[in-house]
Amino acid sequence: MKTLRKKDTRVPRRPLLWLAAALLFTLPPMFGTLPSWVPLLFLIALAAKFWMEPKGYRLRSLIWKLVFVALILSLLFFSYGSLRGMEPGVSLIVLLTSVKILEAHTAREFHIMIMVAWILCLCGFFLSQNLAIALCLLIAFALLLVALIQFHRGLSSAFWPPIRIAAKLLAQAVPLIILLFLFFPRINTGLRFQIAPQRGASAGFSDRLSPGSVAVLANSSAAAFRAEFPDGKIPPLSAMYWRGVVMWHGEGLEWKAPAGPAALPRTSQGPPRGEAIRQWITIEPHDAHWMFALDWPVNSPSGAVLAPGNYLWSNQPIHKPRRYEVTSYPEIPNNRLHSREREPLLQVPASISPAARALAQSWATEKPNPRAIVNKALEFFRTQGFHYSFSPGQYGKNDLDEFLFHRRLGFCEHYAASFATLMRLAGIPARVVTGYLGGEYNEIGHFFLVRQADAHAWCEVWFPDSGWERVDPTAVVAPDRVNLGVNFFLERRAATGQLDNTQSAFARQLARWPIFGRARLGWQTLSYAWDTRVLSFDGDEQASFFASLGMAGHRPIFFIVGTLSFATALLTLYAGWTHLRTRPGGNRVKIMYETFCRKAARLGASRNPSEGPLDFSVRATRLLPNESERIRRIANTYIALRYAPAPDPMMLEQFAKEVNAFVRAS
Amino acid sequence: MIWFYQNPLIFPWGMDEKAAQDLLHERSFIGRSMHSTLLANERDPEIRFDTKKQIAAFTSQICEVIVGKAEAVKLAVACLLARGHLLIEDIPGVGKTTLSQALARSLGLVFQRIQFTSDLLPADILGNSIFDRNEQRFVFHQGPLFSQVVLIDEVNRATAKTQSALLEAMEEHQISADGVTYELPQPFFVIATQNPQYQVGTFPLPESQLDRFLMRIELGVPDRASERAMLLGMDRREMLKELNPVFGAGTLLEIQAKVRTIHTSSALLDYLQDLLEASRQRHRTGLSPRAGLALLHASQAWAMMNGRDMVLPEDIQAVGTAVMAHRLGHDIEQSGESGRTFADTLLKSVPVP
Repeated sequence: MKTLRKKDTRVPRRPLLWLAAALLFTLPPMFGTLPSWVPLLFLIALAAKFWMEPKGYRLRSLIWKLVFVALILSLLFFSYGSLRGMEPGVSLIVLLTSVKILEAHTAREFHIMIMVAWILCLCGFFLSQNLAIALCLLIAFALLLVALIQFHRGLSSAFWPPIRIAAKLLAQAVPLIILLFLFFPRINTGLRFQIAPQRGASAGFSDRLSPGSVAVLANSSAAAFRAEFPDGKIPPLSAMYWRGVVMWHGEGLEWKAPAGPAALPRTSQGPPRGEAIRQWITIEPHDAHWMFALDWPVNSPSGAVLAPGNYLWSNQPIHKPRRYEVTSYPEIPNNRLHSREREPLLQVPASISPAARALAQSWATEKPNPRAIVNKALEFFRTQGFHYSFSPGQYGKNDLDEFLFHRRLGFCEHYAASFATLMRLAGIPARVVTGYLGGEYNEIGHFFLVRQADAHAWCEVWFPDSGWERVDPTAVVAPDRVNLGVNFFLERRAATGQLDNTQSAFARQLARWPIFGRARLGWQTLSYAWDTRVLSFDGDEQASFFASLGMAGHRPIFFIVGTLSFATALLTLYAGWTHLRTRPGGNRVKIMYETFCRKAARLGASRNPSEGPLDFSVRATRLLPNESERIRRIANTYIALRYAPAPDPMMLEQFAKEVNAFVRAS
Repeated sequence: MIWFYQNPLIFPWGMDEKAAQDLLHERSFIGRSMHSTLLANERDPEIRFDTKKQIAAFTSQICEVIVGKAEAVKLAVACLLARGHLLIEDIPGVGKTTLSQALARSLGLVFQRIQFTSDLLPADILGNSIFDRNEQRFVFHQGPLFSQVVLIDEVNRATAKTQSALLEAMEEHQISADGVTYELPQPFFVIATQNPQYQVGTFPLPESQLDRFLMRIELGVPDRASERAMLLGMDRREMLKELNPVFGAGTLLEIQAKVRTIHTSSALLDYLQDLLEASRQRHRTGLSPRAGLALLHASQAWAMMNGRDMVLPEDIQAVGTAVMAHRLGHDIEQSGESGRTFADTLLKSVPVP
């Protein structure tokens, strides 16, 4: 044991610095996904190491190590209640790595640290797969390479060469990565997999609409979904109602969606009217069944049904990003409503106050025409001092009354819910639809980014002559919200101090700068491409990719063996090629030299075929005095490569560089 | 028998081979004893002059005597370093003999001069077996070829018989007489001068004889300035007497061995072979494989003289005409073309790969 330790040498400082940098870059995915004390302990260990290293301190005592490990295990156990599962496992690796950092000292341990850091990279992908994290981990990966290369170069103090070599290695790996990405059989989860569902309220709305349930989303800038219009037909922003769930069951300001809807029978729909709008929608995972589409979808993508009320319902909860195509029409006339259907649409809870009932009744008696009643109700909202607010505050027990007659302060869900209830009281079938309104257009990627902040709720009422029609009472109260989008609205609010959210206000201020705005749009586009092209390339996508190549129907083992043997063949070819290429005296030197001669000829110094390299360089330097230094260097390198005994293979690269630089500089 | 010794240290005949070798070595040693530095260097192999500088000193010493002919002198030196024999062809009076004497003297080797005439017999240059009465047997008396530097003046005045007697000596560095083979001393270097073939009283050298000469150089009439310098300067013969040897036998052999180690890359050999092939295509006979070797060795020597450890195409081109021209003088298909112009066009038209 002792002899072993003696053999190990101390690691120079520079590879250690690279390793530390790499470890730092493995951290970001841990924040937010693991308990925050886990990455913090890791950081503290790293900082402690920096303090300890120059002083020669390190964790030596076995007892202390055991104490640390026991402490870690118990902390994790208390935090998770169990050590099973992905996140406790990752946390355990991270924490044990922290202890290893304190302990590590020798060259052997340096190698172990590099390996562990690579595992940390992998763990990072277990925790999160978005583009920013992927880039972070790629940097960590590259830094680890640099650390290893620097380590093997010993005390050489050159800064750039290891980086260059690492970049070269990574670049060389690119074809293999692409090959394996496309062809290596995928388990049917795609690249993105979530070990434990962890999204809570922030990930979108629920199947219940209650006062405040949409307003809490208004400050969330998280993406809900992204939509593309492949045909280029883009509806105006004010008509961009993304239908999510239709709620039939109303209790005043509280509305509820059916738990698991049956498919909409085809016969109950009339032919759609207007222009068809095709959409490609990439939805972020929300662990529920909603899928979004513009008003009104007429077909359902595979794996989903078109529920009564014309909304999409995924058969499986959406745990990973999903891309689907759906076609919508602006209008679907449906003027048949059976009394069996009509009855639940008029149901109101018994707890509704007499005041509300009286209000609705007064409209109904005054105007027999349903459209007139609707207009009357909208008139009521417009004229009676109703205000649109993100923070309407808590409503008490008798919330409908309080909203309609006293506070008159509400967000879209208040208006939609109360309006629908009033309509039902007035004898008009009505329902509440929740979804999103508008979105942010990305002019680089040509898609709409719809955020959680765009969440919205509106109403639909049934007219005997035309069927269901959308009525948005919010549009009456706050027309800007509908016409200009939520961002504009929020901005104005923030500007007038009504919105106390300095952080998002700051972000919006930044977004006004054109460069920053462009960068943000570019990043969104990249991120969108990452989600749609890379992460969603799952087993199904791969199968259809294989089918498009005419290779459908093979067993996975075929692809495993095929990919691996193809990769091996590729590597063998590459190795052979580099061998040929770096063998001096080979063709390449001659070809490069001929390139140089061509370039020189273009400048006016052409070589006679029978002219030796030395003679030519002398003549060329006389003809091109500006380039004399370069020409002499090229000639010398060429002579050394072509005629000298045992030329240095490294010279070949130098030669290639010189020749390439020759024309660029001149 | 018209041969005489230029060297004041006359080589005693009738010695056995071993003793002769020893003496040769000793003499070359004594000959340089006045140069203490060189002597010291010769004794201590650790302290050697830089080869290139040494060769340059040697060349410049000869150039002092042969004014304005630096290129020819350099070629002659290259020929010497490549272990080849040198043929100097030109009209009388341009300094052929002076050049060869300067070379020989600067080498500090045992030196013999043989004037070839039409009645010269092989035995006159090789040596005779003469009956020794005291010992009651024939003793071989070595001829003037048993020397390190042999200057043969007007080689083309001798008959073919005598000329070919030179062959074995030049190629094999040995002489066979009366059924006994005698090794020639090392180094062995033949400098022959000849008059152009249109001059009266010449027997043209056979091709086989010409092929034995590594190079043929021409001196030509000096330019005006050089001639003026010559006219103003010292008597050439006086200058020759004052020349001091720069090399010793040991150093020369070492340099000659070093020449053969100068690297010739495959690219260079490609070029050399392209040249040989082109000569064979355009000429009835073309260059022989021996000519190829000669070209290689000469270019190696040239490269070394330029301080390089590898041969470049330029080296082949520099020595090419001198090495190839006399080998291509015969059988030229196009009339009016001499070996020299043929060699020149060959070098100018074969591309460097």
